[in-house]
Amino acid sequence: MSKFKGVCGRRALLSGLATAALLTMGGAALAQEVSGELVILQWQGGTDLEMWHEVEAKFTELNPGVTVREFQPAGGQGDPRAGIRTVLLGGEVVDIIINTWPAFRVELNNAGILRPVEEQWASFGWDDKLSQSWKDLGAIDGVPYGVTYTYGDRSAIWYKTAQLEKAGVTPPTSWGEFLASFDALKAAGYSYPVVIPAKYWAHGEWFETLLLRTAGVETAAQLARHEIPWTDPKVRGAMVKFKEMLDAGCCANPATMLATEDPYPSVFRAEEGNYLLMGMWSNAALKKDYGLEEGVDYSIFQFPALGMGFDDTTSVDTKELVVTSNGNNPAAADAFLDFIIGPDAANIMGKYGYASPSTAFDTSLLGPVQQTAVAAVAEAKVQFVLGDLLPGDLVDEYRIQLQRFLQDPSEDMIDTVLAAIEAKAATAY
Amino acid sequence: MTSSGAKPTADAFADISSPLTGGRREPVVRRGQKGLRDAPAAWLLIAPVIVLFGISVIYPLIDTIRLSLFDIKGLAPAKFVGLGNYAALFADATFRNTLLTTLIFTLGTTLISVSLGWTLAMLCSFAPRHTLPFRGMFFVTFGISEAVSGYMWINILRPDKAGLLNSLIGSVVPGFQHSWLGDPVTALWSLIFVASWSGVGLPLMLCFAAVQGIPKTVLEAAYMDGAKPMSIMRHIMVPLSMPGVRVAIFINLLGALRAFDIIYVMTGGGPVRATETVGYFMYRESMTQFKLGYGAAATVVLLVAVLVVSIPAIIQRTAGAK
Repeated sequence: MSKFKGVCGRRALLSGLATAALLTMGGAALAQEVSGELVILQWQGGTDLEMWHEVEAKFTELNPGVTVREFQPAGGQGDPRAGIRTVLLGGEVVDIIINTWPAFRVELNNAGILRPVEEQWASFGWDDKLSQSWKDLGAIDGVPYGVTYTYGDRSAIWYKTAQLEKAGVTPPTSWGEFLASFDALKAAGYSYPVVIPAKYWAHGEWFETLLLRTAGVETAAQLARHEIPWTDPKVRGAMVKFKEMLDAGCCANPATMLATEDPYPSVFRAEEGNYLLMGMWSNAALKKDYGLEEGVDYSIFQFPALGMGFDDTTSVDTKELVVTSNGNNPAAADAFLDFIIGPDAANIMGKYGYASPSTAFDTSLLGPVQQTAVAAVAEAKVQFVLGDLLPGDLVDEYRIQLQRFLQDPSEDMIDTVLAAIEAKAATAY
Repeated sequence: MTSSGAKPTADAFADISSPLTGGRREPVVRRGQKGLRDAPAAWLLIAPVIVLFGISVIYPLIDTIRLSLFDIKGLAPAKFVGLGNYAALFADATFRNTLLTTLIFTLGTTLISVSLGWTLAMLCSFAPRHTLPFRGMFFVTFGISEAVSGYMWINILRPDKAGLLNSLIGSVVPGFQHSWLGDPVTALWSLIFVASWSGVGLPLMLCFAAVQGIPKTVLEAAYMDGAKPMSIMRHIMVPLSMPGVRVAIFINLLGALRAFDIIYVMTGGGPVRATETVGYFMYRESMTQFKLGYGAAATVVLLVAVLVVSIPAIIQRTAGAK
């Protein structure tokens, strides 16, 4: 019996090994078998594009039967969504779309353009590479559509190290320290400690992280879905904190904020301001355009703690790949999705200073600033940038109303502004 | 004008012997005679123009009007809403505000650029040769793309110490600093000034040409009669320069109504929509929000405004033509 059992066990083991070997070979063979043209709708520029081309080159090197054709929509320098829509409405067939707006993913899906990747997630074993939270971030009603391949911390405050040293300020960790540092920085000769480029959208960054820190990710998610009104006391609470910062003399006069589009010169060239709440693309800009050394000339600190029970929250942005339902080469598209979260692509991204959410990613490739951001995001409850979650109509009104608030940061104006956003939200969903 | 001062008729022109015909008298083409016999050939010759005009003007125009009757948001299927977009448009406080902004911008730029251009033309006409480089420099501004001049003026109007205008004023008023494009009041007037600056060259040239077209005999007669320069300007040059002024007003009104580039580059319609004209609103709704139907309705409203301005001018310009 035991002998029989042993034979059975050996046979089972052998057959199991053989099956595994076959599957592995089959998988490898499958990976090598993808061929044909893969069309990617991509709209990036600058360093993002350089990185992307290297990623594509690596993919075609590993899959010599595949040729990649990029389709670049017109008008890609600003918001490329109009260009993407035009391309798709014009009947262009692509296999993969690069996306960074969750609301746009929903729009694409509602139009029947997207193909869910639930089966691929299981068959390729992407759970081993991406955690559940990243999977959720790319899902619609629990079904995964987007595969996140890079992300950025949007609750990091950038500063020039020499300025804080000159003013005798250490990177503030609490809200009180942060507000108190304004006087020290002004005394050191800086005109306005916080630079808010409010010409288009960046003034929303402060409100969004303040909302997370005063009311948490759930409230922010509910607001994005309009499950709570903009006039909710929790939303108002974030605005009150914003007002507190303005009242403390954080910033330049409203007209200067509203005319400022590019904030970097104020901090890193003109030495007028000190703190900048901006996305991780700043890293490439400061290194490349300003010739500064990461972690030496400039650094970041995470948004100061407000002590309201939600200091473990962080705003993030991501880039994801979504696959189309009418693409001509779904096999190659799936293979590319698998590749983008694999070690080869992740490490190319790391070389360019972009963080990958993949477990295969070697974070030691990143510079000190990016490592700080990656660690902060890893420890935090994350919420996608609010502005990219709102319907287009509403996000426009939201930013305009925040501009009105910057012009007159009074209690009455907070109510006026929130009521105006709520009125628009009532018709926007 | 003929030497007798009477306007020549079309028939008179038809009877003139052309040097190209070797002095032979060509038979007069009467309406309804030879013209009809040549109709197929004439249609054939103008067919390419008609086809191009149809493709590039008529079809987009009809399609824009068609789109304006649909509710199209992003990639969602279009829904027919009839005149719903127009009703929504005029109920939209933002759009009504853009109408007012467009009116201020259009009248402001037309008034400044035409009056400045006309004044400069009058002054230049006293010394045409000596003012040639000066006129050339002014006209160059008309040739600079609005995007380029926009970026140039952004730097002149910068809110910080690096802004040229603030530096100049600061040299007289120490400590002066103003954010010209960040203050809703000065942002619109800054745009009007910049648009007028780039638009002044055309009225200058048109008015100058009109003044130069005044027969020398008229001016000489006035001098001989003892008229003083101011009288000559008031009674001869000003009235006779009016055709140039009318064309300049017409062109400036149309340009200002459709203004987009300079607003896009300099203010993006801000701050707080203070500089958003109908042209920019149309772009924002159609291209940023991708509300194609709503944006098309705004386009049609703008088209109507342009027609309201153009038709009287076209009628007036073509009144004497047969």
